Amino acid sequence: MSELLLAQALTKKFQSQIALNELNLSVRQSEIVCLLGANGAGKTTTINLFLGFLEPTSGTATVDGLDVSSNLAEARAKLSYVPEQVSLYPSLSGLENLDYFIKLSGKKQQEESYLRELLDQVGLDQTAADNQVKSYSKGMRQKVGLAISLAKKAKALLLDEPLSGLDPSAANEFSNLLRKLANDGTAVLMATHDLFRAREISDRIGIMKSGCLVQELSSESFDQASLEKIYLEQMRQA
Amino acid sequence: MNISIIRKEFLELLRDGRAIGLSLIVSLLLMLALVTGLSTESAREQSIIQAKTADAAAFNAQGEKNPHSAAHFSRMAHKPIAPFSAFDPGVSSFLGQVIWLEAHYRNPAMFRAAEDAPELSRLENFSLAGVLALVIPLLGILLGYGSISSEKERGTLRQLIGSGTSLQTLLFGKFIVIVGILFTVLCAAVVFSTATSILFLDETGPAISDLLLRGFSLLLVYGLYIVSVTAITLLISSLVSESKTALLTLLAVWAIAVIALPRLSASIAEQVYPSPYSHEFWEDTDLRLEANRPENSSSDYEAVERRVIERALGRELEEGEIDDIEINARGLRFEVSEVIDSEGYNNAFAELFENYVKQKNLRRLMSLLSPTIALQHLSQAFSGTDVNAHQHFSNEAERQRNSIIRMLNEEMMFNGTGGASRYLAPAEFWETVPEFHYEQPRIASAWRASVPDFIIIFFWAFAGAAALRLLSRTSTKV
Repeated sequence: MSELLLAQALTKKFQSQIALNELNLSVRQSEIVCLLGANGAGKTTTINLFLGFLEPTSGTATVDGLDVSSNLAEARAKLSYVPEQVSLYPSLSGLENLDYFIKLSGKKQQEESYLRELLDQVGLDQTAADNQVKSYSKGMRQKVGLAISLAKKAKALLLDEPLSGLDPSAANEFSNLLRKLANDGTAVLMATHDLFRAREISDRIGIMKSGCLVQELSSESFDQASLEKIYLEQMRQA
Repeated sequence: MNISIIRKEFLELLRDGRAIGLSLIVSLLLMLALVTGLSTESAREQSIIQAKTADAAAFNAQGEKNPHSAAHFSRMAHKPIAPFSAFDPGVSSFLGQVIWLEAHYRNPAMFRAAEDAPELSRLENFSLAGVLALVIPLLGILLGYGSISSEKERGTLRQLIGSGTSLQTLLFGKFIVIVGILFTVLCAAVVFSTATSILFLDETGPAISDLLLRGFSLLLVYGLYIVSVTAITLLISSLVSESKTALLTLLAVWAIAVIALPRLSASIAEQVYPSPYSHEFWEDTDLRLEANRPENSSSDYEAVERRVIERALGRELEEGEIDDIEINARGLRFEVSEVIDSEGYNNAFAELFENYVKQKNLRRLMSLLSPTIALQHLSQAFSGTDVNAHQHFSNEAERQRNSIIRMLNEEMMFNGTGGASRYLAPAEFWETVPEFHYEQPRIASAWRASVPDFIIIFFWAFAGAAALRLLSRTSTKV
């Protein structure tokens, strides 16, 4: 299967500090890759480089074969992004937010029934869809964020700590949705601290430390306890 | 895409109670300014009509009287209400409304609403123009300070950009919304002012087409002001990362550019090119007139005498004929002195107005730091209430004075020759003295005088929009 997200010797320095060091990583179609690591390990920097929010110091980030640095708009058109805190307009309803984000991402006018169906797919009930977002819980906002990504039908989905703060039930629903998206062909790259969910939904796991990808594992090759052990060992090493 | 941004921005504004409260306050302020302007101008118009009627009645009812006594009693030239004076009273309150057309003297205009004003242009006029110049930027700031900075704070900008929206599209949509709201407020004010100007138009006023063109010109220049204000607001909102910082920065810019600089520029202009005090002006003018007067027996004086007689007869005098013409010597002397002094008065007043032009040019230079100054100049010019309009009235009134006094002096020269020590003109003579029919300058003359100010305000709008476009294409910070 083709590599939709590809980092080659991707490096980002902030003055003398190395945020990401020679990262080589790929995410193929229908694949979920989770990046684990402590704060400052380089997970968010990797996502920001794929999104073009940061310029790489060296190396390349490509999306479906397009170099992000030189084809920013085209590359972004193939991406969807769900941040840790899905940011929505509080005085608009979930439905209105979804409609707005879809239109601004360049998609054509969508029927209201289709938008409602999307929100239904991500598990947001119809009454909540018409309420203003200021009354939403974090889980509900994450669902709208995911619905925005679904609507865009992007080739690759980038998620930055999307599960943090979600209750177990909401996190479980969210994980199921990600799996469904991947099964439909989307390449998913997710930064997370949640070892359990990472093990549960991912095909591969990358452990990052001080800007380096220190270990890459296939999720099928170990159980939950082994992952925790590997992770903690990596964190302890100097 | 832009329609979606516009729709969403309006939806947010509608659901935000503060925006509705703000709109109500602004509408109230504008209505108050409009009502105040209309009531002031309506009262002025009434008083002009009454004063003109009383003046004509008193002049025509003088009975038998010496023309020179009548020349001192004389007539008044009433400045008509300017086309858009309810919108922008401009310098009307500072330069006077009525000129006494007296023999021997070119009087300045009387009845100044602000007798002790140290400068010509002030912002504190509670007029639609004054409120718009203050409120448009303030409303723009309150609507737009968080346009981009709050999107950054909320994280929605990051999410939108990450979803493929360009900053350029987003900025353009928000620009259209703010400009649209401000332009709606402006349109309401200008359209209402134009409508009332047309409604209260009398037969002596300008043509309706002239009023419509003035309304359109005001819309154009205030529209450019709106564009520059909105561009600056969005620029600052894009450059800072917190809405609080954007608001404070913009309020500081507003206080400097809209409040402080226009006043400061007027003070500096007054310091650099001080307007003469009344007594200084008259002392100086008297000295000039004195220096310009030839000796009574000099050839220069006799040449003027000859010219005055030839003008009165409507033909050239033959050699030696001047000694044979029966003429009232006092009447001739009065008219000769009018002709001799006229040039001196014209030069003195031209210099006075030239000084106002120098003040305006200096203010114009300072409008490179604040578009509000250029807007004030343009607004007054298109409302017909600037110094140029007043100078036009003053010169036309002087022409009328020359014409009336000449008529009275000639009446005395040719009819007061019967040997009586003091000639009395018949009672019916006064009605033959023509009324002052003043035609206000047309919009074309206002445009001719306003080209530099228009270029400056156009530059502000263009530079603001260009800077915003450049920022939207180069900025990567979200």
